[in-house]
Amino acid sequence: MSRGALKTGKSMRLGRQPGEVLDRSRQFVFTWNGRKYPAFGGDTIISALSAAGESVFSRSFKYHRPRGLLTASFLDPGCNVQVGDEPNVRGAHRKVEPHMAASAQNAWPSLRFDVKSANRYLERFLPPGFYYKTFMEPQRLWPLYERVLQRFAGGGKASPDAPHGYYDKRYAHPDVVVAGGGPAGMGAAVAAAEAGARVMLVEEEHELGGHLRWGDEEDLAALRRLGEEVARNSTIEVMTDSVVTGRYDGNWVAVSQRSLPRVEERLIKARTKTLVVAPGLIERPYVFQGNDAPGVMLSTAARRLINLYAVKPGERAVVLTANAEGDAAVADLERAGVEVARVEDARNGGDIGRVRGGQGAREVECGDGARIECDLVVTATGWTAPTSLLNMAGDKPFYNPAAARFFPSRLPEDVLATGGIAGDGSLDELLEHARATGKEAARRARGIGAALRAGIPQSTDGEEAPQDSPVTIPDLPVNGHLELFRGRTHGIVDYSEDVSSKDLVAAVKEGYDSAELAKRYTTATMGPTQGKLETVNAMAVIAEATGRSMEETGATTWRPPYAPITLGALAGRNFEPVRYSPMQPWHERQGARPLVAGAWIRPDHYGDPEAEVRNVRKNVGVIDVTPLGKLDLRGPDVSELLNFLYVNKWSNLEVGKVRYGVMCAEDGVILDDGVTGRLGPEHYLMTTTSSGAAGVLEWIEDWLQTYQPDWRVHVTPVTGAYASINIAGPKSRELLARVAEGVDLSTEAFPYMNVRTGTVAGVEGCFMWRIGFTGELSYEIHVPAAYGLYVWEALMERGADLGVRPFGVEAQRVLRLEKGHFIVGQDTDALTQGFGAGISWAIKLDKEDFVGKPELVWQGERDGYFRLIGLQPHDGSVAPPEASQIVEGKTIVGRITSSRFSSTLERSICLGFVAPHLAEPGTTVTVQLPNGERITARVMEHLAHYDPEGAKARG
Amino acid sequence: MTRSFFSRNGTRSGYQKQARYSAFDLFRRGLSGAEWPRAWRSRDPKSSYDVVVIGGGVHGLATAYYLAKEHGITDVAVLDKGYIGGGASGRNTAIIRSNYLTPEGVRFYDRSVKLYENLSAELNFNVMFSQRGHLTLAHNDGAVRTMRWRAEVNKLEGIDSEVIGPAEIKNLVPFMDTSEHTRYPILGALYHPPGGIIRHDAVVWGYARGADAHDVHIHPYTEVQGIDVENGRVHGVRTNRGGIATSKVVNCTAGYSSLISGMAGVGMPIGTFPLQAAVTERVKPFLHPVVVSGTLHVYVSQTDRGELVFGASVDPFTSYSTRGSLEFIEGLAGHVLELMPSLSKLRLLRQWAGLCDMTPDYSPIMGVTPVEGFYIDVGWGTWGFKAGPVSGEAMAELVATGKTPKIIAAFDLARFAEGRLVGEKGAAAVGH
Ligand SMILES: Cc1cc2nc3c(=O)[nH]c(=O)nc-3n(C[C@H](O)[C@H](O)[C@H](O)COP(=O)(O)OP(=O)(O)OC[C@H]3O[C@@H](n4cnc5c(N)ncnc54)[C@H](O)[C@@H]3O)c2cc1C
Repeated sequence: MSRGALKTGKSMRLGRQPGEVLDRSRQFVFTWNGRKYPAFGGDTIISALSAAGESVFSRSFKYHRPRGLLTASFLDPGCNVQVGDEPNVRGAHRKVEPHMAASAQNAWPSLRFDVKSANRYLERFLPPGFYYKTFMEPQRLWPLYERVLQRFAGGGKASPDAPHGYYDKRYAHPDVVVAGGGPAGMGAAVAAAEAGARVMLVEEEHELGGHLRWGDEEDLAALRRLGEEVARNSTIEVMTDSVVTGRYDGNWVAVSQRSLPRVEERLIKARTKTLVVAPGLIERPYVFQGNDAPGVMLSTAARRLINLYAVKPGERAVVLTANAEGDAAVADLERAGVEVARVEDARNGGDIGRVRGGQGAREVECGDGARIECDLVVTATGWTAPTSLLNMAGDKPFYNPAAARFFPSRLPEDVLATGGIAGDGSLDELLEHARATGKEAARRARGIGAALRAGIPQSTDGEEAPQDSPVTIPDLPVNGHLELFRGRTHGIVDYSEDVSSKDLVAAVKEGYDSAELAKRYTTATMGPTQGKLETVNAMAVIAEATGRSMEETGATTWRPPYAPITLGALAGRNFEPVRYSPMQPWHERQGARPLVAGAWIRPDHYGDPEAEVRNVRKNVGVIDVTPLGKLDLRGPDVSELLNFLYVNKWSNLEVGKVRYGVMCAEDGVILDDGVTGRLGPEHYLMTTTSSGAAGVLEWIEDWLQTYQPDWRVHVTPVTGAYASINIAGPKSRELLARVAEGVDLSTEAFPYMNVRTGTVAGVEGCFMWRIGFTGELSYEIHVPAAYGLYVWEALMERGADLGVRPFGVEAQRVLRLEKGHFIVGQDTDALTQGFGAGISWAIKLDKEDFVGKPELVWQGERDGYFRLIGLQPHDGSVAPPEASQIVEGKTIVGRITSSRFSSTLERSICLGFVAPHLAEPGTTVTVQLPNGERITARVMEHLAHYDPEGAKARG
Repeated sequence: MTRSFFSRNGTRSGYQKQARYSAFDLFRRGLSGAEWPRAWRSRDPKSSYDVVVIGGGVHGLATAYYLAKEHGITDVAVLDKGYIGGGASGRNTAIIRSNYLTPEGVRFYDRSVKLYENLSAELNFNVMFSQRGHLTLAHNDGAVRTMRWRAEVNKLEGIDSEVIGPAEIKNLVPFMDTSEHTRYPILGALYHPPGGIIRHDAVVWGYARGADAHDVHIHPYTEVQGIDVENGRVHGVRTNRGGIATSKVVNCTAGYSSLISGMAGVGMPIGTFPLQAAVTERVKPFLHPVVVSGTLHVYVSQTDRGELVFGASVDPFTSYSTRGSLEFIEGLAGHVLELMPSLSKLRLLRQWAGLCDMTPDYSPIMGVTPVEGFYIDVGWGTWGFKAGPVSGEAMAELVATGKTPKIIAAFDLARFAEGRLVGEKGAAAVGH
């Protein structure tokens, strides 16, 4: 939505500059706060606005002071804007596009007139942490106070309708990653590539070149030469508008890559052999009163505006310089036609006292008290070394007062540093250092690579481990620099958080007198720039207030990420695969209601679960149980393993038999259960619960690898390799007989708890075992997955006259509840030890050892634990919701774990836990329903409500 | 209700310099430019104290505060090897709630919530306890069952807690994708209106200031390197600033607590695991309640400043490292976007980790030990910030009277030897 005509204020656009990044052939229009503005291709949002004469881009967080341009880079704290539904866009970095709709954040009703800027008159009453000192009473009004505070929350707006967007990830295994594509990074990359390394060269800005880009003709010529060298090396992958966001253990390096076609942002995960850190230096603001007024900017910002974007930063300037960059800014300003009213040279005692001007700088009070009218104040007072990646590599950078910045101290072998972060010097000296560093990085990468390959059989004869000696890296000179942090007045230290030096001093005086405490109390360095602009000034002010040195004040940890990264990029395409059985198309055709069960989607029911139950009891039903965990176990020691992991005995299981087993963890708590069959002398098939499949595999591997590495057992997960079908009901034998070949299904030949291998519906290699989770005569068949659907359909077709119907998870739950089989995790919990779950018959304490035995021995000697029991409400029409509590008065003495109405028994049935004194069959307990009503129920003799003797399953 | 210690005119017998905080005083000092006095004093350790509390987190400071305030025992030192609140108390995600699973747990944490509700007034320090409601999502019927279980226990203990459906969830959190077609559809949630978040540093500082006002000595950068035990009794501690004689030591060192107990020869079933967290850049407030999803291993809240705070479950292995990992933020982001897909353009700003002293049953260990005079207030795992006030109160009572208060009786060390675990895994594994 845009109002009015093209904005035609005073144009600050300069003529063509030698190093400009603009594409003047491409001119277009975008909107800012609803008004149209012109831009060239290559402009950032802020450069285009600056060219149109705008100078206020946001309001500050706390006092809503107008904020302009400070660094003209990604870091610029006053230039975060909203673009459509994207909040917090770095306006001084993001390229403007035709029709882009950008708007100011944190300003209401408008950027020019912001109501909350009244706050700045309250500043003296709102010292740091003022909110800790008020709004305390009465507590009941806090929500109201809080709502007021929340109004002042900064940042842009999230939208519930923002599209997810397309993000992806890439894995890479480069030899060398170079973080920073300035001259040093480029030099290092070229040298590493020439030494045979595959290199990733990562640059945060849109082009390579670092400070050379906004330099003079000579710098530009040097940049061209370097650019050609980089381009010549095909083993360098250049990524611009990309940033190394973190260095994690094992040189696991994260790169956020932006400006890609069709991908919003990509996360590259690079396991690099060496990392060269070459991020250059960040120019540091100077603290004085009014240092955040629009029109006050860093020398690099002024130079970038002029040289990259052809924007005149102001009309009349005062420059405070303490270094060559500031001197160069003076020259640039003059060349751009800015009147430089005064140069304060800090090296000769020059200084700035304060800057006046609400909406923008109007007047500077210089160190000598002279007042000069101007609309532009440029400072060049020193550099901050962005040591974040070094910190992440375990380095503790040290402070050098002579150079007024931090330097690397001790780096691990796989991390190197070059460029401004390592020292100063001429461009030639820097490049020499960078080249030597790049070459050394390549050499170390070879060594690290060889070490990684050692011991792994190679397909080729492979390269020899390198014998070359280390490259000599020349020392870089370190230039002296004045320690300039705060001038004679107080000003803003943290622009994003609106924290002043006065605030920090006040915090120290109140006792928050370590760097960490003062920062936490004032929130300095907690904002979007993560302290890259602010940390050193904050420390200097704290040091000043405590009377300690910078070294004693110490650096705080820079935590990852180095630069903010979108949730979308971190998430990527978010692969969380859904698993379906091969029979899924059939289920869908039958209108099965899907149930999400862990990794799987499976049929909950096919319309009428009650009818499904009845059909199993009367005729025959089939259920798709493919998600059951299946592990193929082979080797001479499998029976030892089973004996050790299950609480029951396994040594005597004959070939052709299956057995139900329960596993406990070391604390005796039930972990999983399932049936395992012996297919051959050294071959078993284990089934686990569906949800326990992955965990049990890990559990077994853990024991095999750490406790019994000498046991000869091979474990293969085959859950997905077999489709599993349970055929249950009085007519199941008849149905199976119609499709199975080569297996005698008679009870004598194939009794309960036996397994046979045979052919089903013409499919060879199927396992059939006779078990009975549902309590009916039933067979579970495991069919090679590719034939799952085919066999399923065959069963349906061949059994039509027997009344075969599918049944889903819900019917199975009812059936097993009728039969009193517990479900691990539902009828047991994180404290249910073996005896509590009513499986005393299975626990064989006379075994020499098994996992959980000591705890179970101990539990067996005690009596205080809750027990799983069968329960029936006296009023059989009421099925208490699961999780209803069993109470005595107000005391909880148990709970219902499973509860359903059984159409077979025509009454409600339950499983539940009760305290030991209530476990006696026939006891009446009180159940409190979620609606507060209480009912009574009878404790049953068996867990099974249906056929407790098991005659049907055995029949 | 306990009355505030700080008198209206800002003075009190004993320590004259502590000032009362109020809007009026902010105004007065704003006008006059007068400085605020130190919130707590810095001093040199004495050679002996009646009680030495090791650990200057919320637990240590609260214990010292209540010892002095409720029991008149003021010859107390709180020692910390770093700055105050630099441990888990300064790294947690500040979730306060009482919707636990066991009656013992529910009663205990409920007392803490009640103390927190009154803590700003009690300490004359705004701890910004924001009772914005707490939602624990259920994405499968097993989880729904656990939520119902918790709701039933909670209701029986008089806690405001109920299971709600997707429509109500959508109402409370409009950004949430409650449609049926997501990978992990939301079937319901346990809703706990009194739950919320707090400004964790403020709690630490408030207790430090309150303890100091009662003349407790707070010694940052004082590391305990040994504990002197003779004939089964504590005699003192050794620190980098010299020895301190004492007959009572309280171990409040959370992630480091097994090391400290080890110095006294006391074994505990505790493993220290890192727990990671992260925040995004600020955006205008859009998320009111705290949202937890156990299935997705993630929880989210939005601070008053506008940042989203994320957390998850502990790392899968023991370690004393407080460095964040890439896998963690990847998984976290993926799961947050499962819940709120429109947030993909939000940027993650900072990640960190803290240490958690995990116990086998996800409940704390508080009380006496086989060594006389050596008390423990440990096993706070991922859930202990919310317990600061109640355990401070109870530990102070124990140290002062020698009797274990009923509210912590179930959490004694002996329970592991006697098989009386207090199982809270179902309510504490992800939602701290
Ligand atoms: C990321 C994260 C998120 C969490 N989220 C929550 C949450 O949402 N809700 C919740 O209730 N809980 C949460 N927790 C848990 C909670 O933070 C802790 O249980 C709680 O802060 C513990 O407090 P404490 O005072 O016992 O220990 P700490 O705050 O860790 O204090 C222990 C202190 O002991 C000091 N110390 C250690 N060794 C020595 C020594 N030798 N000498 C002297 N001093 C020593 C340490 O420096 C430290 O300051 C979370 C924890 C983490 C890490």
